[in-house]
Amino acid sequence: MGWLQFYYDRLLQAFYALRDNRLRSVLSVLGIAVGIAAVMAVGAVSKGGSYLVFSELETFGLNSVWVYRDRNDKDPNRRVRKGSGLDNYDYYAMKEACCSALDKITPMVFNRDRNIIQTGNRYSNARVSGVNSDYLEINNDRLIHGRNFRKLDIKRRRASAIIGPTVVEDLFGKGSNPVGKDIRIGIRRFTVVGVLEEKSRDFLASIGSAGGQDANNRILVPFTLFQQMNGSKAINFFHMKARSLDDADLLAGQAKAFLERRNGKNYKYKTDTMATYIGTADRILSGVALIGVIAASISLLVGGLGIMNIMSTSVLERTREIGLRKAIGASQADILMQFLLEAIVISTLGGIIGLILGASASIILATLTGFPLTPTPLVITIALVVSIMVGVASGFLPARRASRLHPVEALRYE
Amino acid sequence: MINLQGIRKSYHMGDVTVPVLNGIDLSIETGEFVAIMGPSGSGKTTLLNIIGCLDSIDAGEYSLAGEMVNTLDDKSMARIRSQHIGFIFQLFNLIPRISARRNIELPMIYANVNKADRYTRTSKVLERVGLTDRASHVPTQLSGGQQQRVAIARALVNNPDLLVVDEPTGSLDSKNGKEIMQLFKKLNTDGVTIIMVTHETDIAAYAQRQVRLLDGIIDQDKS
Repeated sequence: MGWLQFYYDRLLQAFYALRDNRLRSVLSVLGIAVGIAAVMAVGAVSKGGSYLVFSELETFGLNSVWVYRDRNDKDPNRRVRKGSGLDNYDYYAMKEACCSALDKITPMVFNRDRNIIQTGNRYSNARVSGVNSDYLEINNDRLIHGRNFRKLDIKRRRASAIIGPTVVEDLFGKGSNPVGKDIRIGIRRFTVVGVLEEKSRDFLASIGSAGGQDANNRILVPFTLFQQMNGSKAINFFHMKARSLDDADLLAGQAKAFLERRNGKNYKYKTDTMATYIGTADRILSGVALIGVIAASISLLVGGLGIMNIMSTSVLERTREIGLRKAIGASQADILMQFLLEAIVISTLGGIIGLILGASASIILATLTGFPLTPTPLVITIALVVSIMVGVASGFLPARRASRLHPVEALRYE
Repeated sequence: MINLQGIRKSYHMGDVTVPVLNGIDLSIETGEFVAIMGPSGSGKTTLLNIIGCLDSIDAGEYSLAGEMVNTLDDKSMARIRSQHIGFIFQLFNLIPRISARRNIELPMIYANVNKADRYTRTSKVLERVGLTDRASHVPTQLSGGQQQRVAIARALVNNPDLLVVDEPTGSLDSKNGKEIMQLFKKLNTDGVTIIMVTHETDIAAYAQRQVRLLDGIIDQDKS
């Protein structure tokens, strides 16, 4: 127990000294508290941000891979070729024998001209896509009303449509269930068979899937029927689902190679994967987070400088006391430790308060937004270790100066 | 107990070297009460600081209680001050805003005395200096004489071999001064060795032996 008593006594000395200068101590504690809270808040926000991005991208199918004609191909013989470079023969071939990493594939067919979409005298400006019955699974879409396309809907070119929530609102009024009702696209009448669940579109949501369009303002129809309306067997691109996230790049390579083996003389192909988007988003976010952490660290640094400042002042003011303590038996090490402990007490108190502030901020943010932001034991440990380190770093120079004071000169100091 | 031989000490002020002690030979036995006198600048306080192990020497030899002090490092010097020496200053040098009891406990904290022992020893020295009822007062609530008594209690609490006293009555009125000197006299009778610097002859008269310094050497040594 001897050592416990040893540190308890010295800690008590530090508390007495800090109590002597209450205002100054409180201010420097606050300096550290703000710094720690700022670092924690930035950490929490950036963690929340990547959670947000990730969960939004997830709603568009994490395993998604797109393949389409490379329009930047420089080869003059291929450049003169018109068209999307993809058609139904490619689709069937891909489906049969393309790629080991392929799980599902849907053609994506768009109309050449914008069709008028209406019901009675209500209009919609939705984007119409021709897809197959696997599209919903590939794009991670869910239905709130009705059903998916059946295989026969696709094969027989049945005039059925799945529509997004914005389309429902525009054509039928918010919240209504239009399943079974008819809409007009161009000159054709379609029966609504399903309604898409609303997708979050706050952030990055329009990447990829809907071709930069509002994900809630979509109409899906059988691609076969849409090709008939277009008068062409062309397919704009394929949207595929890899067997797993790790297989996405493999599938991209396989699909490109497969298509170039088939049509390489006339077309080159390009691919995109959701994994690449996630990686890009992640890099951007970590860059932003890094800047935030650096900015917050500066406030912690300023807090540390605050401690250094008040410790220096304190050493100067207590020069005589330091001389006295040496006279009654304190060694250099004792004095060094006393002043270091004072700095550590300030920074640790600041760390604890900052932790409480930062944690409350993250918890409030978490309840407001629904992200799991609660601070982990690791974060708490790091915050405390960092604040103790700030204390040691900022207290060391003043403490060393105090410990090296000559007792006689210190006692004589006015 | 104290043996000083050929002690020399000078201070450096910029380029100028000011000699303060120019070869001091002095022996002090256990139980003595010695007053060191002399005009200002004669080196008496420097000599006292050297005896108290607060200051180093340039040349000569100093042994205290059988230990050669002039060869020791900071840690050992601190240990000697802690175990063998009690300091009493003209300005008391109590730490403000902590109680008399906590002031007196300080030397024991540096000597790693456990809490229970600290309490009983503090109570004992408080009784010895007649301040039992003032234990929880902070220095500003005490008179000058009482503050000096607290300082004396603090100096005594580690049972030092030697009290090193610098102008103990310099900040006190004559009545309080007299009482403090009576206290030193009593402590000396109880067996405490005391070395005191003063420039007042009537204060020096409380000691059995008066050593007079002049220009850094011993001018007169009478018992």
